[in-house]
This record gives sequence, structure tokens and C-alpha cells, in this order.
Amino acid sequence: MKKQNINSLTRFFQLSVVLLAIIGLSGCEDVIDLKTETGPSQLVVDGWITNQPGTQTITLTWSSPYFDTNPIKPVLGAKVTVTDNLGKVYTFTDSEGTGKYTWGKLATDTLGRIGGKYTLKVEHEQEVYTAKNEIKRVPKVDSIAYTNETLPIKPDKDKGQKTGFIVEFYARDFVGTGDTYWIKEVINGKTNVDKAEKISIAYDAAFGAGAPSDGLIFIQPLRRSITYDSLYQAGNRVGVELHSITNEAFYFLQQVVEQSTNGGIFATPIANIKSNVTNADPNGRKALGYFGASAVSKMETVIDPKKARPED
Amino acid sequence: MKNKIHKKWFGLLLVLFSLSASAQSKHTVSGYVKDHSNGEGLIGVSVYVREAETGVVTNPYGFFSLTLPAGNYTLVYTYMGYQRVEKPLALNSDQRIDIEMSDESQNLKEVTISTRKEDENVRSIEMSVNKVEMKTIKKMPALLGEVDLIRSIQLLPGVTTVGEGASGFNVRGGDISQNLVLLDEAPVYNSSHLFGFFSVFNPDAVKDVKLIKGGIPAQYGGRISSILDVRMKEGNAKKREINGGIGSIFSRLTYEQPFAKGKGSFIVAGRRSYIDILAKPFLNKDLKDSKFNFYDLTAKVNYRLGNKDTFYASGYFGKDVFGGGDFGFGWGNATATARWNHIFSNKLFMNLTGYYSNYDYNLGQNENDKNAKDRFVWNSKIISKSIKPDFTYYITPNNQLTFGGQYINYDSRPGKATAVSEGEGLNLDLPTRHADESALYIANEQKLTDKISLQYGIRYSYYRSLGPGIEYAYGDTTAGIRKLPILPGKEYKSGDVIKSYGNWEPRFAVNIGLNSTTSLKVSYNRMSQYLHLLSNTAASSPLDVWTLSSSNIKPELADQVALGWFQNFKDNMYEASVEVYYKKLHNQIDYVTGSDLLLNSFVEGDLLTGKGRAYGAEFYLKKNKGRLTGWVSYTLSRTERQVMSINNDEWFPARFDKPHNFTSVAIFELNKRLTLSSNFTIASGTPATFPTNGYGWGGFSLGNNYNNARNNNRIPAYHRLDLAATLKSRKKLFGIGEGEWVFSIYNVYNRRNAFSVYTRQNEDKPSVSDKAQNLLRTEAVRYSVIGSLIPSVTYNFKF
Repeated sequence: MKKQNINSLTRFFQLSVVLLAIIGLSGCEDVIDLKTETGPSQLVVDGWITNQPGTQTITLTWSSPYFDTNPIKPVLGAKVTVTDNLGKVYTFTDSEGTGKYTWGKLATDTLGRIGGKYTLKVEHEQEVYTAKNEIKRVPKVDSIAYTNETLPIKPDKDKGQKTGFIVEFYARDFVGTGDTYWIKEVINGKTNVDKAEKISIAYDAAFGAGAPSDGLIFIQPLRRSITYDSLYQAGNRVGVELHSITNEAFYFLQQVVEQSTNGGIFATPIANIKSNVTNADPNGRKALGYFGASAVSKMETVIDPKKARPED
Repeated sequence: MKNKIHKKWFGLLLVLFSLSASAQSKHTVSGYVKDHSNGEGLIGVSVYVREAETGVVTNPYGFFSLTLPAGNYTLVYTYMGYQRVEKPLALNSDQRIDIEMSDESQNLKEVTISTRKEDENVRSIEMSVNKVEMKTIKKMPALLGEVDLIRSIQLLPGVTTVGEGASGFNVRGGDISQNLVLLDEAPVYNSSHLFGFFSVFNPDAVKDVKLIKGGIPAQYGGRISSILDVRMKEGNAKKREINGGIGSIFSRLTYEQPFAKGKGSFIVAGRRSYIDILAKPFLNKDLKDSKFNFYDLTAKVNYRLGNKDTFYASGYFGKDVFGGGDFGFGWGNATATARWNHIFSNKLFMNLTGYYSNYDYNLGQNENDKNAKDRFVWNSKIISKSIKPDFTYYITPNNQLTFGGQYINYDSRPGKATAVSEGEGLNLDLPTRHADESALYIANEQKLTDKISLQYGIRYSYYRSLGPGIEYAYGDTTAGIRKLPILPGKEYKSGDVIKSYGNWEPRFAVNIGLNSTTSLKVSYNRMSQYLHLLSNTAASSPLDVWTLSSSNIKPELADQVALGWFQNFKDNMYEASVEVYYKKLHNQIDYVTGSDLLLNSFVEGDLLTGKGRAYGAEFYLKKNKGRLTGWVSYTLSRTERQVMSINNDEWFPARFDKPHNFTSVAIFELNKRLTLSSNFTIASGTPATFPTNGYGWGGFSLGNNYNNARNNNRIPAYHRLDLAATLKSRKKLFGIGEGEWVFSIYNVYNRRNAFSVYTRQNEDKPSVSDKAQNLLRTEAVRYSVIGSLIPSVTYNFKF
């Protein structure tokens, strides 16, 4: 129910809000001041390698007090390598001293390949952290389509216009249960996942392991998840990146979404997001974050109203 | 070892029983006590024999029986809110006396008022029991003017809720699924409309409400924390009656009528929300076909055949329906109960109940459009069927033996889903699970001396998880991580017993009268529960699935001891009690991080097991008579859980733990026409978990609790005042009926009480420069379910 989608669910929520407001039961959120304890800072790994050519980046930072307003501190002077299952070692370097460790200088340099297994090793002062991941198969994106749409209620100021287009992509999940994917909206050639609640992940062709969807075309709410909370307009350059991810990455991202959208009366208990990075010293400080790996397929289009499907 | 203990129990039972059943030449007086105005049987009327200084209480059908040596006696009938009745009795043969009692507000000359008062609160063996009269519930201020049984009992000592709008209630440290909510003896699986804002009980059709928090008698079983016993009205046996009302949420209509010359009567009551109808003109074409309503229908019929048999049939059907565009969501309960009361002899009363109870929900896109290219349909269901004979044997006035049994059959269909994408479809059908539960019990209520009475009994419950079905074993992994099934599972055929559990459940209570207005009570009970509600959200959602015990899910057990001091003042104008309790809960269910509880074939791998403890003190002062009535209650308590892998394996407060909880309810009858009322409640905030540190990942700002703690903080305290006024119309409605207006204000001083406080990445649109600066974008949010005061007006009528 948390998964938002511009069409039916949104409409349902809008309706509920209107009706609940009439009877005075609409909940409200207020930003408040909160004092919390602070723990020691921990190393954070933010890295995701792909099979796409170009520079690959692994960012290392320190965690800070939750309400800290200072810039996040980078982890400097670490030794960062990725080793694949064939024994090849890729060394990542922080040439600018910003905590962004990169590999691949040329636009054609490619690190990942489908079926490859990768081990990240981060050595910093006395501590050694490792994480493993692998690149799974990814289906190709078959097409992108868009449909005329008029929202029932005028959207909020920053949520676009009342009329426009719902963009959706078509691709088919592989046969065999347990393929997991991360679907990213692409605007003007760049992925646009700026808040956690926009993370769209698929288990086979649907939301979770429970739904029967193996081998299907991605279900409509997922196809349309690249149209998040506002409609597109004629001339927009829009697309999708479909990333294959491991089941472990799927559950990691699911926890990111859950932690970030955990309001309301149906909130689940808040728990720490489980990292795949481990400290070689079991009594050492634990690391946070995630080291991921994906194969990517993508497609883009420019919206031409003449090619749009008529409104549902 | 265990067996020995239970043998001892039975031994003790027999000894006590034989001691008391000494032979003597005696006669029995028995009969029904009914309400004069409508012929409804009255539950819990005290029938006291002045000369013998003994008495009984009428059972849920209004029946009593007393066996006494021949002689002349006076029977004194007392019942809260009713005029006392005294009846001279020359007992020289067995007698049947049916009487009627009148409401205090009516004045009938046949009634004689005596000066001596009895005192059920102090005298009865019952402890940890709260009864709230429907008359009181109807006068209390209510959210949007909708009289609500569940919200009213949340104001009682020892009862809490996770927060406003949350379904159900929590009793002495139990979660909402640990309350057995009975509507005419059929369990109600989800007691809420509109997620949790309103309860499913139509107040116009409810006769009696009793909440048993401790010292639970042996006749009840199946849930470990409390029993909420809701009895429906039987229907006016004297004359046709129509009740109704128009409120801000529901419109209500109730019709009651006698038939067969008063030998039978029936009641039909319906409610429907009509916000969708009111809103329709304001919605544009896209939203016009949307659905947004909830309704319930309650009906009951009874028929008296001769002097010894009464038959009852009752039913409830309720539904919540939501939908917009092609999206739909609905849930509801249905129950049906058939009962037969039979008086075998004037000492042996039997009630035989058969019930059917069903809870289901459905959710989906294009649910009814089978040709749609994109569809998703999902539903889940639990059905239980039961037969339950209960006997009361009124051996002597000092010994009242109850015995009986129950058989319940469960069918749980945890989830069935169809997904259609671009015309291609797949089905997922989690296999139906079958089980049954049987129980036998025997208990005796015994007056040992004038001052001491005992209630002791034992219940044995036996549960079987039945085939056909597949049972999986789960591999051991680190605590707190999803356990994976060992495939393939073991397949069972129809008729196979997959797993069985049996539990002895001893029950014990004692009342020691210290003087005529004071008593001390102690009780112990063990309860077991074979059915579990898998719910990992703050408030239970209608999608939560009731799951049966299996090899992997052990029955939940609870042991509770309670000690109480009961005292009445000023001629029973005031009743006061102080109770302390300690409760241990075993095999409590919790969940792995990121658990998937819906449509998951291997959901058992996502469950954790732990234990719970709850203890507290409840202070309660109630004023029963006069123009001002009501109560104040204060509960000091603690509710904790311990689950491996959560909170570093240490005890943590449960989500509904509220150490301090004060409530007051006041109803003031200003004059014959105008009644004013207020509720005030103040309680500790519920526990919350906050991050200690923040970090950036993938452009998101995330939180982490360095200590890996659970519920280590608290949200701000909750307090709220509600007011209401009930004004009776001066003029007769259409010359015959009565009408009244109810004005109420919920949350009078407009406080935004926190339901939860949580942290998140702030809503501001992130700009590129933010990312470059690498700042954490975090904020704390207070979420309030009700953000303002809510006034309402309701009109009620009666013919």
C-alpha cells in the first residue's frame, strides 16, 4: 500500500484524503525539534558498480550525529580495491581527496560483466572491511509508451500540472523465480531517484516474493513507477534504467524505503538497515551502507503528443 | 511432574465438591429476571436471600437457581440502575419465580424500597472485571458523536491503545489479538470500521458489555489477555420499538418487536456511513464512481418454548468498502450464533451454542473486470465454526458448578492472489490451513464461610493442526535473520494430524470479606492461544492475517496473578478498588527486520519468538448514584518484551506500553432534559526508536541507532478532553416518540497529540548544490491522527 503510483492508487489516496478531511479525521504531520543521543561515527560505504562503460565510484564517508548540519565527513586515505572472481584486481583511488574513490579513466573502461562476482576491500588505518556482490542477468527494455492523463484533483504546486502524460516502460522478467530489479526513472539522460520513497524495486515482475509474477511483463504499477508524483509534458526527454540486483540488494533497498516512508498509523518498528559490509575484526566498529552491483539496460524517448495513447 | 500437579488439582476439586454437597432436605427456587420495560433478560442481577444470608447472580440469560432448606424467606433482587425488588417466599416445594425489574427512572408501586443494600462489587468473586452499562456508554462524549464500545472501554483501568485510530485495545500488557472479543459468543476477528476509528458494535443493539482482565473463569479460553463479552439485545418482548439516529458518520435504525404473544421477539439493527453520499455532489466525474462506506447489520430473534426452553439466533454482518478508479479494498466480519437454553431441572441449566464466524478482505485493481489487461486480485479469509455446551449446576446456594466444553474448527486461507500483466496472468494460492481446538472445563464457585468464597476450576485445551497441507522445517540461522525453509516440505493428506498441542489451564480465585463493604480478592489464571494475528505495524491493519499454530508457531501462553482490594462507600454510592497484577507471556511472536507477512508462503521463517511480562497497579473509583456519575482511574504499569536479536536480546517496552494512564468520565444530569458529560485522559507517550546517527547513501539521508536499540525513547504525553451534552426534546416526536440531540466536542482544547514521532529525510526538494555540499537532510516529524477539535451533532429518536 505504501508504493505510490500516479494512477489508481494515487486517485484512491486523494479521494480518501478529501473524504477524511470532510469528517475531520485527516492526520497531520508537524516538523518538530527532537533531541537524540549520538553514537560514535561509523564508516559508510556507498558504492554500486555496473557493467556500463565509464568511471565507477565508491564513496566512503563517516556517519555523523543524526541532526548534524555540518557537511558529511569523507573517509580519506583508505586503500580500496575490487577483486572479481577471475582474480583481477581493480584499484580505486581518491585523486581529489573527497572520499570519492574511482576506477576507470577512459569512457570505454568497463568493470562489471553479467555473471561476475566482486569483492570490495577497504583498508583504513587498522581496520579492514569487505563486501561481496555479483552481477545478475537483466532483460532488455522493449519499449516506452505514454498515455494522456487528467488528474481528478489539481495537484500541489510542485507536483506538476493537472493534465499531461503517464510514461511507462515495457520489459519482461526472466523465467525462473527470484530475479530482482531496481527500476530508475531517467530525465534528460540522468537517473532521478532523489528520495528514498521513489525507489522502485521489483521481485520478478511484481512488488514482492509473494506475488505470482514470474516471467510476466512487469505489472502496471511497476511499468508506471517511472512516472512518480507528477505528469510529464510534451517534449520531455524521459526514460528508464533497469538494473539487475541481487535478492540481498532488493531487501536492503526495501529497508531503505521502509525507513524513509515509515509514518502513519501502520508504521513498522524502526530498525537499522542491514549493511553487507563487514569488519574483518568481529569486535570492531561495524560499517554502514551497501556495496552493490548491477547489469543495466535502458531506453529513452521524447514525448510526442501525437503518439500518446488516449486517456484510460 | 506436570501430570502430578494436575492430578492434585482434580483431587482438590473433588474433595471440596464432596464436602459441600452434603445431603439435606431442600427445595429449589429458580427463575428468570427480566427488564419490565422490554422483557430483556437481565445479566448479573444479585438475588439475595436475606434470612439465609446467601445469594446468587443471574447468568447471561437472566437465569438463577437457589436451593435452600424449607422455610420462609425474602428474596432481594438488586441490579445497578434498577429499582430493588423484594419478594417473600414460602419455600416448601420447588418453585419457579420469574420476575421483572424496572429502571430507576420509572416509578412502580409494586416495588418496595428497602434500606439494606447489597454490594455486588465487593461480594462477588469476580475481580479484574469491568462492566460498563450501555446507558453510560451512550451518554459519554464520543468521537464524531458515534457511541463506541471499544473507545469507551479504553477509558477503563488497565486498558490502553497504541493511539488514536488504532484498531482494538490492549489489556494488561497483551496485544490486541490476545483479547477474545465475543459478540453473542461468536468471536469477532476485527472489531473496527474505517481502519480503527469506529467499532463494529451497533450501540442500539447491545445489551451488556463485560471486560474480564484477570481471574478469567474456566468457561472462557482461546485468548491469553482478556475476554470482552458483548451480549446483544434480545428484542423488546413487550411492544414494538423503533430506535434510530442520524449522526455525522452513521445513520442508524433499529426495529424490535414481540411475536407469538410475547413468547418470542426479534431485533434488527442496521447502520451505514453516508459520508460518500454527502460528498458525491462535490466530486468530479473521475471520483464519482468511487466507493467509501462502511455498514453493519445486526439481527437477533428469540423464542420461548414452554417453561424450560428458549432459542436464540443472532447474526452480524459488517463490511468496509473503499475504492476509487479501478482500485478496490474491502473487509468485514460475519458471525452467526444459534443458542438453546434448556432447564433440565430447576438446578441444572444448559446453554448450547453453535456459531460461525468469518473474517475476510479483498484488495485489488480491476477486481471485477475479468477482461482487464492489467489486474491484481488478492483476498484472505479465516473461518471458524464451533459448538459449545455449557452447564451450570446450582448444587446448593454455596456451590455452583459449571462445566462444559467447546469444539472449534478453523479454516484459514492466508492469501490468494492473481496478477495479470498485459493480458497474461498468474495465480498464487497459499494453501488453506486447517486446525481444530477442543476444550473441556469444570469449575466450582463455593462459599466456604460467610466471609470466604472460592472459585476453582480447570480447563484442558487440545489443538491439532490438520492436513491436508505442507509443513516446512526452517534452517537455523543467526537470530533475527529470515530463516529459509528446507525444501521440499513434508506433505500431509486429509485426515493427518500435522502437529498437536495440549494445555492444562488452571483457574483460581478467592474473595475474603473483611467486612460488609470491604473485601480482598486474589486470582490466578493460565490461558492459552492457538491463533495468532501476524501484525508488525503500530496499529493493526485490516490486512493482517490470523495464523494457526503449527510445528513452527507454538501456542501463546500467559500466567497472571492479581490481588485486589474492593471497598464501597456511602451506601454503595461509590465503589473503589485497587488491583495489582503480574503477567507472564510465553511464545510471543515478533518479526525479523524487513519481514514479509503478506502473501508469503514461508512466512513462518520471518517470525521470531520471545517472551513478555507485564505488571501494574490499577486504582479505580466509581460513582454509581446521584446526579453525577462516572469514574476516575489511574493505572501505573509496565509492559515489556524480550526477543532474541531485538534490542541486543534485552527487555524492551512494548509498542503500547504506557506507564502512567489516568482517565476520568463524568456524567451530570442537570435536569430531566439535559445531561452533560466529559472524558478526560492523560497518559504517557508510547515508546519510539530514534536514530543516533545519520549517514548518506545513494543520495538519501538515512538513520542508524548505534546501540541497535528498540523503543528506547518516548513520544510526548497524550492528553485530551471531550465534552458532550444530551438534550431531550420537549415535545413528543409525532405525538408518540422521544427525540434527543447530542452535541459533542472531541479534543476540546485542540491538542495535536502525537500518534508517533519519527525521523526522515526532509521534504525539501534536494538541489544539486546540496548534494555537492554533502549535507544530511534530516528532520523529526510528529504525526497526529487528529489535528484539531472535532465538533458533532447527533439526533436520536425512539418510538
